[in-house]
Amino acid sequence: MSRPSQRRPARPARKPVRKPVRRPARKPRGAAPGSPMLRLRVGMVFIAMVLSLFAARLVQLQGVDPNQYAAMAAAEGEVSVILPAERGDIVDRNGDPLADSIDGLMVVADPSLTQKRATELAGFLAKRLDVDYFATTEKLRAQDSRFQYVARQVPAAKARDVVAAAKEKGFVGLSTREDPVRTYPAREIGANLVGFLGTPAKDGSARPLAGLETSFNTYLSGHDGEARYQKGASGDRVPLGTNVVDPARDGQNLTLTIDRDLQWYSQQVLADAVKQARGDSGSIIVGDSLTGEVLALADYPTYDASRPDLSSSSLYSSRALSDPYEPGSVEKALTMAGLIDAGKATARTKVVVPPRLERQDRPINDYFEHDTLRLTLAGVLAKSSNIGTVIAADRYGPGELRDYLTRFGLGSRTDVGLGGETPGILPSGKLWTSQTADRIAFGQSLSVNALQMWAAINTIANGGERIDPSLVKGRATLDDGTEVGTDVAKRSRVVSEDAARQTARMMERVVDPDAGVAPGARVEGYRVAGKTGTAQRVVDGVYDGSFTVSFAGFAPADDPRFTVYVVVHNPRNGGGGGSVGGPAFSKVMGYALRRYAVAPTGTPPSRLPVEW
Amino acid sequence: MSSTAPMRRPAAARTRLAPLAGGAVDRARLAVVPRLRSRAPRVPFVMLVSLVLLGGVVGLLLFNTSMQQASFTVTERENEAAVLAARQQALETELALLRNPATIAENACRIGMVMPPTAAVIDLATGKVTGTPTAAPAGACPGQATR
Repeated sequence: MSRPSQRRPARPARKPVRKPVRRPARKPRGAAPGSPMLRLRVGMVFIAMVLSLFAARLVQLQGVDPNQYAAMAAAEGEVSVILPAERGDIVDRNGDPLADSIDGLMVVADPSLTQKRATELAGFLAKRLDVDYFATTEKLRAQDSRFQYVARQVPAAKARDVVAAAKEKGFVGLSTREDPVRTYPAREIGANLVGFLGTPAKDGSARPLAGLETSFNTYLSGHDGEARYQKGASGDRVPLGTNVVDPARDGQNLTLTIDRDLQWYSQQVLADAVKQARGDSGSIIVGDSLTGEVLALADYPTYDASRPDLSSSSLYSSRALSDPYEPGSVEKALTMAGLIDAGKATARTKVVVPPRLERQDRPINDYFEHDTLRLTLAGVLAKSSNIGTVIAADRYGPGELRDYLTRFGLGSRTDVGLGGETPGILPSGKLWTSQTADRIAFGQSLSVNALQMWAAINTIANGGERIDPSLVKGRATLDDGTEVGTDVAKRSRVVSEDAARQTARMMERVVDPDAGVAPGARVEGYRVAGKTGTAQRVVDGVYDGSFTVSFAGFAPADDPRFTVYVVVHNPRNGGGGGSVGGPAFSKVMGYALRRYAVAPTGTPPSRLPVEW
Repeated sequence: MSSTAPMRRPAAARTRLAPLAGGAVDRARLAVVPRLRSRAPRVPFVMLVSLVLLGGVVGLLLFNTSMQQASFTVTERENEAAVLAARQQALETELALLRNPATIAENACRIGMVMPPTAAVIDLATGKVTGTPTAAPAGACPGQATR
């Protein structure tokens, strides 16, 4: 091999020696010119050029953009998988789930493969996945498409079964992908509080549409993790290859103070009460008197959180928080508590109640016809006399009543963690005229939300100390950064313990069959304190002649454990706070006392005189 | 080429050096030292080295195979775990729906159970009973009222 190659360069080398004259004239084609030295130099230059090309490439690879190539090399065969963080559950105070996350899959089809047997496959899928037959047929036949959703958010076990069964029957072109599912096993129970998630966004992130799911979205979501590893041709991990796992940080569970069973029962009782009164809507709030924990917050009408598409979106929010209304006579309890606390009256203070009270702009009437009555302050409350309340409230100094109502929490949000809460309206400054003050004393011309009012009445139950109501047990962070929950609930003294106890004893007379107006609110065996309310409703800015009826109370009256507030808007059966709210109160309160095994105190009931 | 060159070169060197210092060259000539012979048999050593090499290669191969096998198993088990977890979740969901108070109440109501309106309380410390236990009256199920 080496010989011929040696001989070849030898011949041209000799040529120029033999014919030196002809050299400038004609250069033989393909012959290397010059002496061996020259040839060496030419070769040297050639090699240097080639090497400098290599060097340039080396500089380009290592100096200019080394990372890109390293990354490209690494990406070859490397797989990166998003490890989806599991969304935290929403559970009730006993750990029973109200919202739960489970693995889900979407079933997708490749129409280029499915169109041949589209109708047959659509029939199969319609039966197994509850999808519409015609819509599915259309999707399976879609032209110029290689990706169509067949069903979304199917529980993983079901989706796998269906796709496997389809494969067994010889259908091709179906596959599954991750698509987390949120389930609401409690369905209607607490739906207005919990809210729900819509179909996930394109990138797989959750889309909360209502309730706590929205306000605690960040808290519940957690952070997605990532796993990177090298994968062989078979799809298995290459042992000893890259394997980096950044684990997902799951969302935190949100524990509510809600008691699922009590919540359910309250919703049933509320539904019955609103339907029987032929009302528009209503709310019931049940809470622990001593801790301010809300055990049940029922709204009617409500919706099924597992199928929100079946209800109007106007039902999604919690009306107990979002709808302001005038509380009516329930507020009288606050007026009385303030009066006693300020030392301006006692439960036995004597009030002369005329049949009609002429004030600055218009006369004030009671809801019942009467001659001049001689009532004690307890009697004014028990009979729910507007005239008596206004006369008693005249003892307040300027701004005093407003100050008390502010401390009872009226006019400011409860901030329990649900969005869309109304602060209500407590007139101030120029709007607080003497006429307004008269009406506010018996619960008109100011508006509240139901939870605010519950917290105010609960202040009396809790011995004059107001506790922020809580929906969240422990503590949790809202999307806006505020922390809420029982751990951060604040307490503040509003009226003295003695004033609160006296008011409670006055309120006991309300449910007395002889002295009061709401015997229907009694709970067999227990001492109950309460107050009815029948208020004119403001609709589109005017009193339209409809009413809001309510009943708020607590039991046992001398050692309160639960405070319950019932509100029904626009009853059309002519009922008042006692006849509509009372029985509902009695049922829910009785259930709560039995459920939490609260023994009757066994003390004799309040015998405060109502007349003199 | 390589076979002819070394034969010629010593001859040339000798001819060139001989007139200068033939005696010195003769004196400096290297003598062949008798080769040291190991009496240990060579075969076992070769066998040992071959065995170690072969064992290493085969071991590495087996190790790799087992790792690969483990990787297959991991994938398989992971899939299995995912399927089982999904199955468990499906069952838990089903259970949660069955434990829903609304479902329980509906079933209880169907077999004629009613809500008690009152209850008596017994104090275990004193044995004192407060309240009068009374039978629950039959009535509509909660939430079943009509307008």
